[in-house]
Amino acid sequence: MITSTDLKDPLITLVGPPNSGKTTLFNLLSGKNYKTVNYPGSTVEYYTSRILSKFNIKAELVDSPGIVSLIPESIDEKVAVDSLYSHPKLGTPDLVITTIDSCQLSRHLLLPKQLISAGFNVIIVLTMTDILAKRGLKISERKLSKALNCDVVVLNGRSKQGIENLIQATNSNLERIGVTDKKNIIPYNSLKNRKDLIDTFKEIEEIINDVYENVREDEKIYLNSANRELKILQDGATINGFTPDEITLKIDRVLLHRFWGFLVFIVVMGLTFTSIFWIAQPLMDLVDELFTNLNSLVLENFEPGWFTFLVSDGIISGAGSVLVFVPQIIILFVILGLLEDSGYLARGAMLIDKPLSKIGLNGRSFVPMLSGFACAIPAIIAARTIPNRKERLFTIFIIPLMSCSARLPVYALLIAYLIPRDKPWLGGILLGGIYFFSIVSSIVVAWIINKFSKRIFSAEGSSSFILELPSYRVPKISAVINHTYNSSKEYILRAGPMILGFSLVLWFLTFFPNIDPQVETEGFTSGQIQNLERAERLEHSYASDLGKLIQPFMSPIGMDWRIGVSLISAFAAREVFVSSLSLTFKVTSEDDEEHSTLLSSLRNAKKEGTGEKLFTVATSIGLIVFFIFALQCLSTVAVSRKETGGWKIPLLQVFIFTALAYLMTFITVNGLRFFGIQ
Amino acid sequence: MRTAAELNYREKGIISEIDFSHPSSKRIMEHGFTPGQTIELICKSTFNDPIAISIRGTLIAIRKSEAGCIKLK
Repeated sequence: MITSTDLKDPLITLVGPPNSGKTTLFNLLSGKNYKTVNYPGSTVEYYTSRILSKFNIKAELVDSPGIVSLIPESIDEKVAVDSLYSHPKLGTPDLVITTIDSCQLSRHLLLPKQLISAGFNVIIVLTMTDILAKRGLKISERKLSKALNCDVVVLNGRSKQGIENLIQATNSNLERIGVTDKKNIIPYNSLKNRKDLIDTFKEIEEIINDVYENVREDEKIYLNSANRELKILQDGATINGFTPDEITLKIDRVLLHRFWGFLVFIVVMGLTFTSIFWIAQPLMDLVDELFTNLNSLVLENFEPGWFTFLVSDGIISGAGSVLVFVPQIIILFVILGLLEDSGYLARGAMLIDKPLSKIGLNGRSFVPMLSGFACAIPAIIAARTIPNRKERLFTIFIIPLMSCSARLPVYALLIAYLIPRDKPWLGGILLGGIYFFSIVSSIVVAWIINKFSKRIFSAEGSSSFILELPSYRVPKISAVINHTYNSSKEYILRAGPMILGFSLVLWFLTFFPNIDPQVETEGFTSGQIQNLERAERLEHSYASDLGKLIQPFMSPIGMDWRIGVSLISAFAAREVFVSSLSLTFKVTSEDDEEHSTLLSSLRNAKKEGTGEKLFTVATSIGLIVFFIFALQCLSTVAVSRKETGGWKIPLLQVFIFTALAYLMTFITVNGLRFFGIQ
Repeated sequence: MRTAAELNYREKGIISEIDFSHPSSKRIMEHGFTPGQTIELICKSTFNDPIAISIRGTLIAIRKSEAGCIKLK
């Protein structure tokens, strides 16, 4: 076994059950200045950091995913526990600090009990003692420390009270470990017996009967009034059987009500959706405008040449298509963070578990799928919280079907094309219809794929849904902001290089080999000439060769190679489809009128050879259907490969969803024609 | 013998044993469902499943199929 003495500084690992205040403690000790480390061969990530210098401890600090017990069930949990025992890069921790919710001592003591019997050096940090005090109780650190034979520290995460005691205990522990030999760590498989679990809990119950004490009399006077206010039932004799707090139970009487509960759930989800789109839209336009201006700034100030175009069309536009989604992702994570921190998200997962289990999913698939409506990339990453491997892979599999925000500009353009100018309200109805259709069709597709799930996911394991419903509380804004910042950073770092890279490849394909196109210049402004040159360049580019190659596939669905080129470009990111269309159809206007001129040139576009109208009602609806199903996002493919640990699932996703998109478009276009709609 | 899955709304029960043959039994016990504990059914989801049970001062949402291995006195 590798021990961390091979390294320079001692290793301290933080472990704790979910909702025990572990991350708060990590942020307190690290000053939020951390980096992520991957467990080799898996996607489970850790945060590591140096402890802040003001605490004067020279040690490496590692945060780990929340676990309730040392006996792993799922593959991800196994990785989490394995890394605690012996991380391939970091070794075995010299000291384990475990956070315990004081109000849930009788459940949370299981983990430290197991850690101690496995032979780790443990410090227990008691959190949420302020909430316990409101119930008129406190825990005797001395008695608990004696019963478990390890250091126990009380810490208030919000006021930081008690942190100096933790530092002191950490230092004395590290000193003691320094002089004694390494302890032998007992592997977890010898802890596996179910009978042992019952015995451990019996021991815990004995300890607990001893360690709870009433708050001192003078403090109690003040707390009693608080008690009356909170209507918390407190009875010294039934310490083991604490009731969950009354306020939570009252709120749940509504939010988990059979009828009202589901209604509230639908309203909350509806509000979440609308705000993702409506609040984010102006911000996204702002980002878009910024990059468009930056682009034209470069074009105006430098000699036109391949390098200028590489910077403007390749790099700047590529970076723009990464950053344009950041506002939406930030808003999504703020809302999800508020819902999670308040305690509602767990209830949402519970309410939706039954319907989702009918199609082979799990209540825990709910949050990742919801995130999928903003962007598939953070959504696929969020699927890590699903313990059952088959359900996790299945969730990842169908996330690309969620109508992500990159499809919105495409829908907006095609809707604007389809509806009569004097009836703008039709657009809203149509967009709503598209979302409704896409949700219904994802359910149907998921239901069909579930029939083949054994072959696709080759993972067994019984389905399970056991989830702690935390007490309701006012969300902590700082925690939400912190989480949002980290998730957004993760999106940019993960998807950024990928989208940028493919933008550059596509730029190359659309720019070469015809670098210096000849166009008619008479009677045009310089801006129009530039657009004409671009269109000319594109028409003789590698991309158009590719487009012509797929012409035989485009004809049956009423389209031609020009739409094909735009569909290929859309693989970098779906919204590129719109700008690519305007290039292919030689839109010669300046930027500000692009949308309306694009519409009129789409109206005038004719099929080559026959001269028939290209963008008919049937083709436009067909295109919308194509975008509903197709997986046209290489970043999603890359993240899916990374998260599923192989090429099988991402390749199946590309193949199945693209084939499905083609088939559905074919049926739509020809079906509409059959009924006389051209 | 009754199980936790058969509890009525706001009904209490005392756990007599956990059915070890159920694949989720270990996880259920890790969440604190052990013999002798008093549990209470707090609410049911819209589709009657999963149910929310109070155990050791905490609310746990659990599917009925899994609550079925919690045997009551």
